[in-house]
Amino acid sequence: MTLSQIALVSVAVAGCYVGLRAYQRTADFGFGNDDSPTNIKAEFYWSRLAYHTSMAASSTYGRHSFWGFWGPPWARDYPKADRQFLIAMHRLTRIDGRPTEQVVTLDSDEIFNYPWIYAVQVQLWSFTDAEAKRLREYLLKGGFLMVDDFHGTEDWENFMNGMRQVLPDRPVEDLQSGDEIFHTLYDVDDKMQIPGEQWIRTGRTYEKDGYQPKWRAIRDDKGRIIVAICHNMHLGDAWEWADDPNYPEQFASMAFRVGLDYILYGMTH
Amino acid sequence: MFQFLFKYPSPVFTKGRFVLLSTWPAWLLPVLIAACACGLAMLIRWRQRDAAPKLRSWRAWMLWGMQAVFVALILLLLWQPAITVSALSSQQNMIAVVVDDSRSMAIADSNGKTREAAAIDALENGVLSGLQSRFQTRLYRLGSGVKQTDGLMGIAPVESATHIGNGLKQLAAETADLPIGAILLLSDGGENSTGISADALQALQNRRLPVHTVGFGGLERAHDVELEDVSIAPSTVVNARLTATISLKQHGYAGQKATLTIRDGDKTLAVREITLSSNGTLQTEQVFFSAGGAGAKALRFAVVPLAGEENLSNNAITRPVLVSDAKRRILYVEGEPRWEFKFIRRAEEDDPTVQLVSMLRTSENKIYRQGISDPTELADGFPVRPENLFGYSGIIIGSVAADYFTPLQQELLREYVDRRGGGVLFLGGRSALSDGGWSASSLNELLPTFLPSGRAFQRNSATVELTAEGIDSPITRLLDDPAKNAERWKKLTYLADYQDAGSPKPGSTVLVQMKAGNRRLPLLITQNYGHGRTAIMATGGTWRWQMSEPLGDPSHDLFWQQLSRWLVADSPGPVTASMPVRTLMDEGHVQLSAQVRDQEFQPAADARVTAHIMGPEGTNALIDLAPSRDTPGLYQAEWTAEKPGAYLAEVAAETTGSQPRQLGRDVVTFQREDGIAENFHTEQNRALLEQLASQTGGRYWEPSNLKNLPRDISYSEAGISVRTTNELWNMPIVFFVLLALPIAEWLLRRKWGVV
Repeated sequence: MTLSQIALVSVAVAGCYVGLRAYQRTADFGFGNDDSPTNIKAEFYWSRLAYHTSMAASSTYGRHSFWGFWGPPWARDYPKADRQFLIAMHRLTRIDGRPTEQVVTLDSDEIFNYPWIYAVQVQLWSFTDAEAKRLREYLLKGGFLMVDDFHGTEDWENFMNGMRQVLPDRPVEDLQSGDEIFHTLYDVDDKMQIPGEQWIRTGRTYEKDGYQPKWRAIRDDKGRIIVAICHNMHLGDAWEWADDPNYPEQFASMAFRVGLDYILYGMTH
Repeated sequence: MFQFLFKYPSPVFTKGRFVLLSTWPAWLLPVLIAACACGLAMLIRWRQRDAAPKLRSWRAWMLWGMQAVFVALILLLLWQPAITVSALSSQQNMIAVVVDDSRSMAIADSNGKTREAAAIDALENGVLSGLQSRFQTRLYRLGSGVKQTDGLMGIAPVESATHIGNGLKQLAAETADLPIGAILLLSDGGENSTGISADALQALQNRRLPVHTVGFGGLERAHDVELEDVSIAPSTVVNARLTATISLKQHGYAGQKATLTIRDGDKTLAVREITLSSNGTLQTEQVFFSAGGAGAKALRFAVVPLAGEENLSNNAITRPVLVSDAKRRILYVEGEPRWEFKFIRRAEEDDPTVQLVSMLRTSENKIYRQGISDPTELADGFPVRPENLFGYSGIIIGSVAADYFTPLQQELLREYVDRRGGGVLFLGGRSALSDGGWSASSLNELLPTFLPSGRAFQRNSATVELTAEGIDSPITRLLDDPAKNAERWKKLTYLADYQDAGSPKPGSTVLVQMKAGNRRLPLLITQNYGHGRTAIMATGGTWRWQMSEPLGDPSHDLFWQQLSRWLVADSPGPVTASMPVRTLMDEGHVQLSAQVRDQEFQPAADARVTAHIMGPEGTNALIDLAPSRDTPGLYQAEWTAEKPGAYLAEVAAETTGSQPRQLGRDVVTFQREDGIAENFHTEQNRALLEQLASQTGGRYWEPSNLKNLPRDISYSEAGISVRTTNELWNMPIVFFVLLALPIAEWLLRRKWGVV
């Protein structure tokens, strides 16, 4: 086992002492807890994009009542996934990150202060013209967007509808194993499909008709990745359920590795 | 008139020496004059009480004054005053008549005739005959040297250059055994080197040869714009912005608009409209333009001719500029992943002349390398050997604590700046500068500021502003116009964080300062250290200039590209070729030098250095440079460029021995001009001619006033001259004064009624 795997396992095991159904509570390791002040300044802020849900989507999916979770789709896994990921980032890299996560929107120019953003359930997103313009400028100026947790062909169509509002003519391409983004911090060569928490009950790594994991990206004119797309997988749940005894360690470890690689790519390219 | 009153011509008085011929002691004269004056004064005083009432006041003293002068004059005449002066004895001396033969004498501005024709006319209408009545004359033509001619027919203005000083020196040397009494120079004073050299004057003064100068040509052109000089860096990198300083003079177009153009072949690089200042003043304009693609260029700087300009050939100057596309490598050491790192890398990716090689500490023991040329580069971290580190032209140190570098590496860093001549840029950050222990490190003297104590790095906003030095600097130039540039900087969005860098050391330059809260702190500070340079950019937050300014705004990228270029521009390569002058006027002689260093940047004492010179019309030469005796590592050679045009010299060095290894190469460009110089400064250089005449004992003459020249020229100490003594007692003016004084006294007495 590599040193990082040992570290991850110890983090996961320590998290179990907090309790079984603790998925809304994050363990306190001295680095950020629920009572941490949010006005600490740092170099890196984990920024979750709060988008507007499309009209059609909000009627059917609006109140996501999965497992008693009530909240808008962008807040899926929030805040425990983010918090737990930040603990791993603090432990395993030299990034000066704030221990608590934050939420950013496309309503103001405030988003330009956070060059790395994360969005989930993106089949439900939609943009006004102003929001699409802002996100496009954000990406072309040097911002990085990671999207996660959407499964199947219908989800993909809906995601692309929104994406095409932002970047109308940039091709989406598949990422290969040798791509630089998988080798910034960890060498992630053998990738597997990372399921959400539903694996514990169903034993399936896929949801809907997303049988194969699609690691995709959109690049800018210079070939640098500006949107990293994780289709047919659920990294957020892997981060959130890393401390659950039933959730397999290899999914969680790989999810942390991929996440850290993506962040470091966004901070070096 | 003068001669009627004073009996002798004026040169006798200006050149002669006053003497008293009497054998009586000279000191007795002033004593007697004083005694008589006092005696008269006593007499008058003694009798003043009894004199007429009118004479009791100042009037008495006025009469005393006139009487005293009368007595003094008579006493002076008793001592036999005279003037001795040297004059050339007739028929035993030669006068050298030198006529300027250069192309500028073909300008027709002497009452409708060319200057040359006016000179010949002046000689034919009396001067030559006047001279030949008493002396022999020798006729010379002056160009870059002097040549004797037989008659006035052989003189035509075709020479391409004028070197008056050298010509006269050559004349003095050639005629060392001839009795030359004086030199008569007919010229317009257009000297193409800088003034008359000191040793030419010395040669003339040693022989006591006076030079009488006759000036031809208008003193001022009526309508002309002339380009005086263009100052520009001789070499630069692709797409860099260059500054050209153009100086010009104009007559007759004060206040009007003119257009400056800069062209490379038939491509226009810049056009700028300027307003001409007053007549005759030297006006300097700065033009910024982009260098363009790589290559050896001859840039042509010109003023578009205005209507009615008399001389069109002084409107353009060419200068050689070498634009190189050699990639300079910068090593960027960053201690933690941060946004500044990403955006600096992005800015440098757009600059083809700089390659940024970076090593980033992603986790405690992992280093992520980017921009490396092969997998072994930086595989063991920061280099420990000079040959590995000195290959970079610049180093950027980010948020890295000083103790990350071992003492050996710190010493290597110092050698890098001091001996190798590289540049090191320190950025602000969480573990940078005083927060990284740099004030206690041995590299503290590399830094351009005195670091403060206490916590200096703050994640708060700060706005920026250029200092006076920053407004002129090419590093901070986001817009060409300096005023607009300063405004642009004031409006730049705030920095994400800042660090207190302390107070600048003497000798450092603060280019940008920032306002954080109510504190003013220096932001960008540069200084030269040893052979290299160091700088501090006391922030890690300029990335906001990229993210929070509008899309497409080039400020962030432009600033970082220009800062990096400054960092590496003067870092020498292993071979540095140079020559003292890049534009050769009329003289093709050039001295080529090369500084050669080995891998550790120590001077390479035994290397084989060759230069390949390519020039116009297929000129191709391969010369060896010989090692200099005084300076190790310096190699020199002399060469002559025969033909005018643009030249390129490529200097290559390799080690000697059985397996020679390439040490490096460098390129310089230069140009040789021929005949261009005569088109500039075509007005009469009266100041030079007057100075030449006065320093050698001659006189400046105007062509319309040469009547007395044959007479005055004979008063000279050169050649075969005789010292004559001319008595002054029988000057008519003496008699007039002796007569006038008593008459004046008598008239005054009559007027006052006291006769």
